[in-house]
Amino acid sequence: MNVTCTGRYLTVTVRQMVFILLISAALGTAVNLIRPDSIPFVDSWSMADKLVAEDGDTLAIPFEDAATLFAENAAVFLDARTPAEYDQGHIQGAVNLPWHDVDIYFETVIMTLDPEAAFITYCDGDACLLSHDLAMLLKDLGFTRVKVLVNGWTLWKEHNLPVTTPSS
Amino acid sequence: MPQKRLSHDTTLSLGYHFIRLVMAGVFIYASIDKIIHPDLFAQAVYNYQVLPGYLVNLTALILPWLELTLGACLLINRWMAGTSALAAGLMTLFVGLTLFNLTRGLDISCGCFSAAPDENPITVLTLVRDISFLILSLGLAGYRHCHPNFKHPGAVYEFQR
Repeated sequence: MNVTCTGRYLTVTVRQMVFILLISAALGTAVNLIRPDSIPFVDSWSMADKLVAEDGDTLAIPFEDAATLFAENAAVFLDARTPAEYDQGHIQGAVNLPWHDVDIYFETVIMTLDPEAAFITYCDGDACLLSHDLAMLLKDLGFTRVKVLVNGWTLWKEHNLPVTTPSS
Repeated sequence: MPQKRLSHDTTLSLGYHFIRLVMAGVFIYASIDKIIHPDLFAQAVYNYQVLPGYLVNLTALILPWLELTLGACLLINRWMAGTSALAAGLMTLFVGLTLFNLTRGLDISCGCFSAAPDENPITVLTLVRDISFLILSLGLAGYRHCHPNFKHPGAVYEFQR
């Protein structure tokens, strides 16, 4: 294939790529405009925003408040991550309640919890939904004092607060 | 010798069409659930934590249609120069994202074939699968570049195919 042909081939390739991208964008936009369950083209993706209920109450607990409750031993921390992640390190005294296997842990963990106690669920990462989903389940089950510590594990480590690791 | 050459070309051509149809199936299948559930797919896109918030929904709305369009072009064997290049580019992006999140250790859904956030967590198998699809896509792009015209070997190009 000579240079002229290669150049021509590239021109056609780029042109077709642009056509395909434009068609896809047009289809995606048009279908979202007419479908009943459309989503906003631009949305807020802050986890703190997502934890705010319709009545304005928020599930999220500020890190400082969580640390205070921990120091006063006034709340039970629930780790919503997998047992493997929990074993690698968790907030000291936290109970593992993996969201993905929550049905398995229902009798052994959830049934033993005091519905009147304060609970703080956490997982890892700003976008992690495990702690949010676990908190919602507990609320549905009648637990009234449930909060979510967004990005809990990372924040806890960054502030050098007490943790339990295999080495400790 | 001419017979051998013919046999070689036929085998390559058959391989090209087989891979083209396989990738068409992959892209079309991958797009369906995401198109049906844009809200769930937006969550999956957000969970990757690589895009600014204002681009999450736009990506979730357009990417599945791009996959469907690519799948349709692959299926009917049209615009193959652009299609195969975009398919290879998309698979490169997916491999990069998978590798990135495996390295970071994020426990998130792949969002590859299902929009549901609780399904298909990213594993090494996801990476292997994506790399396989990338190799197939690169094969299509390479073959298309070397064989721009199947029907008329004497002609320079038949760009509309």
